Amino acid sequence: MRQQAAITAKVFIQRDYSSGTMCQFQTKFPSELENRIDKQQFEETVRALNNMYAEAEKLGSQSYIEGCLACLTAYTVFLCMETHYEKVLKKIAKYIQEQNDKIYAPRGLLLTDPIERGLRVVEITIFEDRSLTR
Amino acid sequence: MPGFSSGGVGGGVGGVASAPPRPFRPSRYVPVSAATTFLVGATTLFFCFCPWLSEHFSSVIPIYNGVIFLFTLANFCMATFMDPGIFPREEDEDKEDDFRAPLYKTVEIKGIQVRMKWCSTCRFYRPPRCSHCSVCDNCVEDFDHHCPWVNNCIGRRNYRYFFLFLLSLTTHIMNVFGFGLVYVLHHQQELDTPGAAVMGVMCVAGLFFVPVAGLTGFHIVLVARGRTTNEQVTGKFRGGVNPFTNGCLRNITHVLCSSQAPYIGRWRGRQMMEVQPPFLRPALTEAQLEAKVLDNGIQNSKSSLDQMESQSADAEAPPPPKPELRYPGLPRADTESSLLTEAPPTPSMYKYRPTFNSPGRNHTALTHPNKMIRGESLDSPSPSILQSSRQPSYRSEPSSLDGTTVVGGGVGVRRGGGERGEGPGGPGGTAGGVLGGMSGYSLTGRSYTSYPSSLVLSTGGSHSSSLRSAHTAHNPLATLHSEGTTDTSYKSLANQTPRNGSLSYDSLLTPSESPEFESAAHELSPQKLHAPFLSSAVRGQTEVVSPSTPLQGYTSPFLSAQIAQQREGQLLQGSATFSSPHKAYLRAVSPPLPSSAGPLETHHLLSTSRPVLANHTTSKPGGGVKKVTGVGGTTYEISV
Repeated sequence: MRQQAAITAKVFIQRDYSSGTMCQFQTKFPSELENRIDKQQFEETVRALNNMYAEAEKLGSQSYIEGCLACLTAYTVFLCMETHYEKVLKKIAKYIQEQNDKIYAPRGLLLTDPIERGLRVVEITIFEDRSLTR
Repeated sequence: MPGFSSGGVGGGVGGVASAPPRPFRPSRYVPVSAATTFLVGATTLFFCFCPWLSEHFSSVIPIYNGVIFLFTLANFCMATFMDPGIFPREEDEDKEDDFRAPLYKTVEIKGIQVRMKWCSTCRFYRPPRCSHCSVCDNCVEDFDHHCPWVNNCIGRRNYRYFFLFLLSLTTHIMNVFGFGLVYVLHHQQELDTPGAAVMGVMCVAGLFFVPVAGLTGFHIVLVARGRTTNEQVTGKFRGGVNPFTNGCLRNITHVLCSSQAPYIGRWRGRQMMEVQPPFLRPALTEAQLEAKVLDNGIQNSKSSLDQMESQSADAEAPPPPKPELRYPGLPRADTESSLLTEAPPTPSMYKYRPTFNSPGRNHTALTHPNKMIRGESLDSPSPSILQSSRQPSYRSEPSSLDGTTVVGGGVGVRRGGGERGEGPGGPGGTAGGVLGGMSGYSLTGRSYTSYPSSLVLSTGGSHSSSLRSAHTAHNPLATLHSEGTTDTSYKSLANQTPRNGSLSYDSLLTPSESPEFESAAHELSPQKLHAPFLSSAVRGQTEVVSPSTPLQGYTSPFLSAQIAQQREGQLLQGSATFSSPHKAYLRAVSPPLPSSAGPLETHHLLSTSRPVLANHTTSKPGGGVKKVTGVGGTTYEISV
């Protein structure tokens, strides 16, 4: 049977609004994670997420073509095709899963995809380390 | 249908799973129904006489009109049914925030301070440009307005469609009106049924053209300036700077060419992940952090245990001893309070002590220590040794007591306080016992556990002069006063706690409140145990032992001083059992600390210097203000 460790605390990484309403998260290292994970590792994760969200919201040629196509087909193209943003969101979900598998779960942490929180926070769940609190 | 499903074509009404069901209001659907009717109806009628136009002018006309009409309709449908960017309600993000969250949180956007308001319905701080729609009862991202004609909020996800709908509708109205006019002008002679229909359509078109065109122009300006309707109407950036603008061209491209914003409602499945210890740890001082946490826990539990212990000890304690047994040689020149000869140093000692000797004997014994305190010692040790030798059976406390008493006659520096040695000196011990204890204390030096009790005794015990007794009586009872005050202050602060949700923002402005709260809490906890059984003493003795009363008040009734001594003994009983000597020390000594007498007294207790007890009683905190030192070392004043 799967026995999940107990949740000790949750840390919320808030949005960084310094450059507008673009989806960016603060890279400040929370104190609750000080003894659970390296600061560099954490910052690298958040920076990668920020880069990916910036790419999703980029006003580039792909989004322009997509818009024109949608207009021309009376938006029926959305029935068949994924938007650029959704493609990047899938990439982000995969990245978070991979980070959880490789880095965070072995340390008793769990990253929650911010899309599940309305892109407002990155929730990090801290699990109880029973080996220490025995 | 990946695109639409993820686009949330469930629409503005049913897109969010967490929103509570709302009552069905048919009146909400009147404008959207009217808009749909007019749009479709008028266009259908238009297409009735379109064949004539295509024949006489060009066949492009109906195609063109058809395309425009379809475009208008598509945008109308997207604006109506697409989720505008509703934030899902937050269920478990920091539930305490509801009561303690400040109303606003400020963030800096491109150097401009923007306030984020706490949404009590949705339970999060609204991101910038987000607003709560009262019609839909949802927070919407980049909230523009709630449009009744589409019966939907216009937000980040569907603003583009709404804008294009307005543009295309304006164009469509212009087309219909224009081509209708052409038809009418060409059929001026024969205005029959088709002509009448066309006239009707033209009237409708003309009627709607003015508001629609006005709205379209308004939104063109908004898009160019990078504002939302909400911001424009509420005048947020009137005379100020808009932090959300990136220039006219970038604003327009952002509205029209950016990728479709994602659906952020809660329909995604939770990620399942197995997380099990053992966990890796970085090479940090996490062990130290753990130790710290454990220490705090230990201390806390210890203190609570101490309190429990002392309380139980108090409960078990025999009735208060006769006054003369309480406080042995606090040396005084005048011996009128010599009835209060000595006190058991520790409760356990006291427990084992049967009835004590007669006061008379103690009295005589007491007279000596006054002299002895001055430094001579050789005489006193003998009685003390005698007495102390009588007492070993009573000595249940740590061997330091034994040591002190046995060593006994050491000259040692002697302080005024009823030292530990006095305890074992016990009933007859009096001054000799005191001296013995003292010397023992000074000799052994270690008696850390015995230290506080002796200190307590010394501060509490005041057997000799009325002044002294009054003063020392005053101390623990002053503590009580402070307790009472702190109790009330703590309660008043505690009562404010539920309101702190609104007050916490104010508390940011008045941070002075919090230290008081903490110090009150600190002050309350170690002294709490005294409150119950000493409160009666306080009530009874208020007029006597209130620090605000002049010193004469202490001295006047000897009996009251005795009673005060009695109460002090009870207090000391309780306090002495504290195994945390530091705390007991603070508790016992803190009241006198602020007074000039206090430091002198504690100095006496601490050091092995000559006793100058006679001199310390003069000073007193002035003006009815008591300074109390909390456990954390914080000092605050209580007016009594």
